[in-house]
Amino acid sequence: MYRNLFRLAVQNIRSRRMRSWLTILGVLIGVTAVTARLSIGTGVQVAVVKQFEAIGYDIVLIVPEGARATANRLTALPGAAATPAGGTFSPEALTGSTSGAEPAGAGTRNSLPGGGRAGAAPSIDVARLLEQVPELAEAGTLGLQVAAVKGSSESGYLRVVTPTTKLLDAFPSVLPGFKIARGSSFTDSGADQVVVGARAAATLGVEPGDTVTIAGRPFLVVGVLTSTGPAALGNGQRQPAISGQRVAREVGAASGTGIAAFRNLANTADALVVLGERAQAVWPSANAVTVTVARVKAEASVSAAVDDVRLAIAQQGASGTPISVQEIADQIQGTLGMIETVLASIAAVALLVGSLGLMNTMYTAVLERTREIGVLKAIGARDGQVMALFMMDSGLMGLIGGILGLGIGAALSLVAARLFGRAVGVGGFFPIFSVGLVAGVLGLSFVVGGLSGAWPAWRAARLNPVEALTSE
Amino acid sequence: MFALEDVHKSYRMGETEVHALRGVSLEVAPGRMTAVMGPSGSGKSTLLHLIGALDVPTAGRVTFEGRNLSALSSRERADFRATEVGFVFQKFNLLPNLTALENVFLPLLLRGASVASARERGARALDAVSLQDRKDHRPARLSGGEQQRVAIARALVREPGTILADEPTGNLDTETGKRILNLLRELTDRGKTLVVVTHDADVAELADVRVRLRDGKLEASPAAVA
Repeated sequence: MYRNLFRLAVQNIRSRRMRSWLTILGVLIGVTAVTARLSIGTGVQVAVVKQFEAIGYDIVLIVPEGARATANRLTALPGAAATPAGGTFSPEALTGSTSGAEPAGAGTRNSLPGGGRAGAAPSIDVARLLEQVPELAEAGTLGLQVAAVKGSSESGYLRVVTPTTKLLDAFPSVLPGFKIARGSSFTDSGADQVVVGARAAATLGVEPGDTVTIAGRPFLVVGVLTSTGPAALGNGQRQPAISGQRVAREVGAASGTGIAAFRNLANTADALVVLGERAQAVWPSANAVTVTVARVKAEASVSAAVDDVRLAIAQQGASGTPISVQEIADQIQGTLGMIETVLASIAAVALLVGSLGLMNTMYTAVLERTREIGVLKAIGARDGQVMALFMMDSGLMGLIGGILGLGIGAALSLVAARLFGRAVGVGGFFPIFSVGLVAGVLGLSFVVGGLSGAWPAWRAARLNPVEALTSE
Repeated sequence: MFALEDVHKSYRMGETEVHALRGVSLEVAPGRMTAVMGPSGSGKSTLLHLIGALDVPTAGRVTFEGRNLSALSSRERADFRATEVGFVFQKFNLLPNLTALENVFLPLLLRGASVASARERGARALDAVSLQDRKDHRPARLSGGEQQRVAIARALVREPGTILADEPTGNLDTETGKRILNLLRELTDRGKTLVVVTHDADVAELADVRVRLRDGKLEASPAAVA
C-alpha cells in the first residue's frame, strides 16, 4: 500500500514541477551546508590529530616569550598564582614581556652577526634542564635566524635553521622536511657545513660541493633537501623568501606559540640548515629565536613535566615558556571548535529555512488539493492514508533535496579544502565522508521533509470529507 | 438496506446555521433506482452524503443493515465507504494526475491490493463502461461523458452493493447524459441499489422510486413505480 502511496506522491511532485523544484532547492541549500560543515569539520579534526600525532604528544616545546597571549604569560610565570591581585605588574612580569618582545623585534632590525641582545635573559641551558627535570628523557634545540646569504647565482636574506645534532637524531618529526635528496647530512659538527633546502638551492644556484657565504662566512654545501616534504607542500608554490623583511616577519611569527611556530620552523624548503652546535660556536652572540624540544619519559606525566620545566627555567634565570604538543593541539582544536560551532549554526538555520519552505509548499498543496482529499476520502481513503500521502510527498521532496545537497555539499567541501585547506593551519586537509555522514544526512533530510509536511498533512487528514468535496 | 430514522442535519456555513435536513425518515429500496428530487438547497446532497457515511447526522439514525453508521469510528466509516458504496459526482472528481485506469484502481490500492491485480480489475471495470481503449489517458484528455464513465467504473471497481450518484448528468449535454443514465439504469437491472440525486425530470422518469425534498423535509411519501 505504501509503495502505491509513494507512486502517487511522485506523481504529485511531478505535476507541480516548478514549485517542487523551488521547494527542493530550499532543502538542498540546507543539506549542502550541513554536508559541507560535517565533512570539512571531520576532515580538519582528523588532519589536526594526524599532524600532532606525527610530532608526538610526549613532546614539550620551550618557546621564547613573545607573541603570547597575556593569559598565557601570566600562567607561565612561576608564583603568578601566589601574587595578590594587582600584582600583575611585578618586576618579573615586566622582564618577561620586555625580553619576550625582543626576538621578534630584533629579527626585523638586525641580522646576523653581532646584534647581541643587551639585557636579554640568557638562553636555556639544555644539559642543566635535563638534570633539573627528571621527567625529561632527552632534549634538543632548534634555532631560527635571518642571515645575509650569497650563493653562486643569487644573494639575499634567507632563513637559517639551526637544529642541534640531538634534535636531528631524536626529533625528526619536528623537522619533517629534513630529508636529503643529494649529497649527505652533516658529517662534522666542527666544520662549516650547510644543508640547503630545495628551493633555496635552486634560487642560490648551489649543489653539494659548492660554497655558500652565510653572514660573511663560507660554508660548504654537503647536501640538498628533497622538495617534496610536508613543509614544501604546506607552503605551496610560492617563491623562496629572499626578501629580508618577509623572512624577518616569518621569524617573528615563529617566536609565537601555536601552529605558526611549527609551520615556520618546519619549513626547510627555502631555508639553510646549519648545525646548532656550529652556529653557537661561530655566532655566539647571534639573536636567534630558539625553541627547545624535549621528550617526556613514557611513564611521566606531560603536564607535570611542563610545570617542572617552567620552574627550572625560572631557576636558570632564563626566559621561555614550555608548552606541550597536547596544549597546542588543544588550542587549535578550541579555535576550530568555535569556527565549527558558527558553521554548524549557519547550516542549522539554512536547514530550518528549507524546512519552512517545504512546510509552506505542503500547506499550499493541502489548500489546493482539498477537493482531491475529499475524493480520496469518498473512495475509502482512511485519515492515516491521507496523512501518509502528504507526508510521503514532503518526505520525498526532502530526500531529493538531501541527495542533491549531499552531492553539492561534497563538491563544495572538496573545493574548499583545495582553496582554503592551508589557511586552516594544519598543512591541508581532506574532507571526510563517512558512511554515517551519508546515511545520516539522507535520513535527516527525509525526516526533516516528513516532519515539515506533518502539520499540513494532519490538517489534510482531518478535513471533513463533505466540506472538502464541495470546496472549489 | 439503508434506513433513515428522523434524520436531522445542520451545519455552520460561515456565520449562519444551515438546517439541511429537518427530520427525514426513509428506507432505500434495495436493488432499485431511487431518485431524490427537489430544488437546490433542499438537502438532497446532504441526504446522499449521510447515506454514504461521508457525514453523520446531527440527530436521528442512518443505518445500513441494522448498523448505525453514526456509531462507527472515522476509520470504520472510511472502510464502509470503501466496501459498501460507490460515489459518482456531478463534477466527476477524478484525480488529474492519474490516468483513467489509475483513477479506477486507486480504491483497490487504498485497501492493499497488489498493483497487478488492481490493474486487472480496473481494466475490467473500464471494460464495463466501454472505455478500455482510453485507459491511459489523463482526465484532462477525456470528454465529460468519458470522465463520468471513468468515475462510474471507479465506483464499481470494488463491487459495492450501492451506487450513490449526485447529479451525474448535471455537467453533460443531453445526449451524453442519456447514455450515462442508461448505464446507471443497467446497474440497477443487474441488482445494484442506486440512489440518484437530481432535479432533472428525465432522470426521475427512469427511477423506480421517487423521493421529493423541500426545505429539508420529505414532500410526499415515497411512491413506488412498478
